[in-house]
Amino acid sequence: MKEDFLKIKDLKKSFGTGEAKQDVLRGMDFTVKKGEFCVLLGPSGSGKSTLLNIIGGIDTPDSGYVSINGDKLEDMSEKQLTMYRRRHLGYVFQMYNLIPNLNVKENIEVGAYLSEKPLDVEEVINTLGLQDHKYKYPNQLSGGQQQRVSIGRAVVKNPDILMCDEPTGALDYKTSKEILALIEDCNNKFGSTIIMVTHNEAIKYMADHVIKLRDGVVRHNDINDKKIPAAELEW
Amino acid sequence: MKNPLIKRIPKELVAEWHKYAVIVIFMVLMIGVVSGMYVGHDSLMASINAGPEEFNLEDGCFELKKKASQELLDDLGKGEMADVRQYFIDKGIKEADGEVAKAIDDNLNEEVTQAIEDGVREQCKAYGITDEQMIKEQIDTALEDNLEDAIEEARKSEDFKKAVEDAYNEAHEEVIKAVDEEWDEIVKRYDLDEESFISVPITIYDHFYREEAEDNNNDGIKDATIRIFKSDSAIDKAAFNAGRAPETDTEIAIDRMHASNAGVEIGDTIRVGNKKFEIVGLLSYVNYLTLHESNTDLMFDSFGFDVAMLTPAGFDTLTSRVHYEYAYKYEEKTEDKIALADMGSRFLKSLITQTLVYDNEIEDFLPEYLRQASNFAPSDIDGDSTTTAVLCYILIAVIAFIFAITINNTIEKEASVIGTLRASGYSKGELIVHYMSMPVIVTLIGAALGNVLGYTAFRNLMVSLYYESYSLPPCGLVWSKTALIKTTIIPLILMFLINLIVIVKKLQLSPLRFLRHDLTTSKRSKARRIPAWSFMKRFRLRILFQNIPNYIVLVFGVIFIELMICFAFGLPDSLNNYADKASEMMFAEYQYMLMGSKDSDNEVIETSEETAERFSAKTLLYPRNNDVSKMRAFGSGKDESITVYGIADNSSYITLGAEGAYISSAFSKKYGLGAGDEISLHEEYENKSYSFDIAGVVDYEGGLAVFMDRNSFNERFDMDEDDFSGYFSRNEIKDIDEEYIATVITADDMAKVTVQLMHSFGAVIDVFKYVLVVLAAALIYLLAKIIIEKNEHSISMVKILGFLNGEIGSLYILPTAIVVIIFAVAGFAVGYSLMIYLFKVIMLQMDGYFMFYMKPESMVLSVVYLLIGYAFVSVIDYFRIKKIPMDVALKNVE
Repeated sequence: MKEDFLKIKDLKKSFGTGEAKQDVLRGMDFTVKKGEFCVLLGPSGSGKSTLLNIIGGIDTPDSGYVSINGDKLEDMSEKQLTMYRRRHLGYVFQMYNLIPNLNVKENIEVGAYLSEKPLDVEEVINTLGLQDHKYKYPNQLSGGQQQRVSIGRAVVKNPDILMCDEPTGALDYKTSKEILALIEDCNNKFGSTIIMVTHNEAIKYMADHVIKLRDGVVRHNDINDKKIPAAELEW
Repeated sequence: MKNPLIKRIPKELVAEWHKYAVIVIFMVLMIGVVSGMYVGHDSLMASINAGPEEFNLEDGCFELKKKASQELLDDLGKGEMADVRQYFIDKGIKEADGEVAKAIDDNLNEEVTQAIEDGVREQCKAYGITDEQMIKEQIDTALEDNLEDAIEEARKSEDFKKAVEDAYNEAHEEVIKAVDEEWDEIVKRYDLDEESFISVPITIYDHFYREEAEDNNNDGIKDATIRIFKSDSAIDKAAFNAGRAPETDTEIAIDRMHASNAGVEIGDTIRVGNKKFEIVGLLSYVNYLTLHESNTDLMFDSFGFDVAMLTPAGFDTLTSRVHYEYAYKYEEKTEDKIALADMGSRFLKSLITQTLVYDNEIEDFLPEYLRQASNFAPSDIDGDSTTTAVLCYILIAVIAFIFAITINNTIEKEASVIGTLRASGYSKGELIVHYMSMPVIVTLIGAALGNVLGYTAFRNLMVSLYYESYSLPPCGLVWSKTALIKTTIIPLILMFLINLIVIVKKLQLSPLRFLRHDLTTSKRSKARRIPAWSFMKRFRLRILFQNIPNYIVLVFGVIFIELMICFAFGLPDSLNNYADKASEMMFAEYQYMLMGSKDSDNEVIETSEETAERFSAKTLLYPRNNDVSKMRAFGSGKDESITVYGIADNSSYITLGAEGAYISSAFSKKYGLGAGDEISLHEEYENKSYSFDIAGVVDYEGGLAVFMDRNSFNERFDMDEDDFSGYFSRNEIKDIDEEYIATVITADDMAKVTVQLMHSFGAVIDVFKYVLVVLAAALIYLLAKIIIEKNEHSISMVKILGFLNGEIGSLYILPTAIVVIIFAVAGFAVGYSLMIYLFKVIMLQMDGYFMFYMKPESMVLSVVYLLIGYAFVSVIDYFRIKKIPMDVALKNVE
């Protein structure tokens, strides 16, 4: 039995004041176990990204808390939060967010630099199939290649949690599957806990844990015992 | 429907207010200062140029030993030359006739008396009278009875008449002969032998003055010499900077500049001679814009000399002697210098001859065009416009750079907006107009505020600079067309064109490329390879490469700032250096320029001083436009004064080589002349020119001079073989009467110029330094802001990834810091070299020459000042990085 690694307790968050006040998270509770592949599913406006930002320590809840390995984020100073992201988290974004003036290898090194236990950069490049592109700038790559670099930057840290925010949102079907397979590999190979935000229902089949969100609350919290490999997904 | 994009403009102005504020501050400072210089210059020149008419400036003046008779003044007014020869002959004949008449009378009396005595003695002998006592009594009786009749009879004789006529003729001939002998000398000395002399009719005004000791603080010690004129003078009137003219005989108005230097003001009481006066006005006489006590003074002295105004009654209460100065104005008006010189010399002939025949003496004569006190300031102020022009060109270049980088940055930032708008159907024209609006609005705001400041605070600052040196009249605000065109219209047009070109060029790219933020034209397929340094080092290097265009602009900005800082440090350093080295620069400790080589008795002026050595000298002009160097474009056409020296053989002061003309090293450096070149010098007030082949260069930095041996000099300039102009000496010469000395130049005199300049500019230079630090900081701020804005997304991203603010700072600030330090040093080297060149250009417009010099500590400070400016910016940058929110990187997720 895997232990609880990430705990979300009664998390609330709203934006705006008065009549313009919008409750984005309205008391959210769930836990994620270590090494679990967790998918947060929901339509636009369900609070997925806000939740991810709070888990990533780049936004704060109005009430409730997030704890990682027993440490509550709300008790952490800004510097501790930075150190938390630095040591435990890897990020993969929908729009890749690569540093435009660094080449492929250097973008991956950005992740490696931050980690106390980084993976070998060259190995990661080879794993991601980027060996022929490692001296190119991001704007010389296709979307799929850029997302591979983004994944490389995240996994090279050997993070405890890999946060993926719509990682296939800007990619075509084939590339999306390749990227999902890579993330799956990381989960299998390095044992990283994966938290993936997506609105693609098909992705839930490759996850251990599926949490469906709507209107700021958890509607379904399911454990998937029959997960299928990314390569076999269809949508 | 109105273009909805218009609504973005005020919003962007608010959102990006600090960027636009910096641009506006930059423009306001630059335009304000340069516009202020132009407006100040034009205002002062307008006021100075209006002075001669408004305050009835003389065309010249002369001082006589005693008050002129009405007849003398009437004849001088006609401007005709008196017939001096006839005057001397008439005078001589009158004197001679008196002597001849007396001689004849004495002779006749003696001869007739003797004849009577002889006759009486003959008669006594015939009568046998031998008693001498009796004979004498008979003689006395006969003389008493007959002498007068006998003399009268003798006068009637033809013989006597002939003898008298002969005597008179002989005497008259003697007189004419003597006068003619003397006359030749006079004619030669005063050049009076002009057959076709044209009269110079003038109007003469009394302009009497007294000179007294001025005691500012009533401590009984003389503080200055004060020259007092009457308040009812119809010529050379004064403008009042403050207060009013004296109305009672205990009130006085004194020169404003002197009052300021002496620390006295309206309401204070000063002692003039033995009398106390209350200051009621601070004035500026139209003929004393600088306080030159004597026209031969090398530099004015507004500390030790003062001019003042008293009521006629107040004037009469003073006891010192009255100086009978008369001012005149020509009936015929001309501005032409050669014509003025000709009229001046013709009037002088009239003056010399008329005063002679009216038995008066000339103490002083000075045509207005030669008066230092009224011509020094305008020519100095006029010369400064060159400096302003150079500053202006730099200003335009810097503003152009700033706009080029900001517009580029804006387009890059707005790439997706532009792409979307173009994709939605907005035309290029509509977008060009939209993106042009903001820089146009900002420039207009900057230019408007700059001009407002230029016409107010900065203009006042510039004007006050001149008021710190010269006794200038109050000046009104003058609309300066030059200021508007050069500081506003040209930068506006330039900014407009630069923006237009950049925007039009960028908008040629397809909407898709804008949408993809793909605005680079680089075809590079792989990233630049860099050494295998540590990751952070390579990251920094990448940031450096990414921002090369910004750093290129930074180089120009830093060079510009360094150039200005070099000026701010170098000007006082150069002046001080010149003052310090003045004594080394003098080839003789004392240089006595004499009024002429002979005294009033026509004796050669000699001295017993052993080190004294005679020299000949003459001032000629070197046409600046003859300069063939690249600096020619800056030439104003005003010619440079060159002193030509005739040096004694085996001189102990100047060593010349083989025969020929040698130029001073200052002359050589200023105009890039050397051995083998030919120069042509001309007279200022005559149509005569002389050409010289340069045989070599003499090491003399103290002035622009040509040296040749005295014999060649005297021959060349039609002087007598033994003639000379003055003495060089190592010691003070004490045995030459002051009235024969025109000027004495010592190292102190040379240093005086720099002391005065430092007095005028010292405080402003310091302010200028701080303004430059602000400008440097503003420029670096703009560029650093662009670098950080460009990387805002990446910074946000690396924050999310877990980079600490310190690490991010070291990534994004350190490269700029290293670049700024390297550029500050390199910029200083370039700025310093440019300043040497610009200094030469500026020097070309001014008389004289001194080298640009910077102390080593000033060099260090020049770099340090810029870095201090940068240090402030980097602190701001650090906080700016700290403030970049992490959601910038997340914005495009949903």
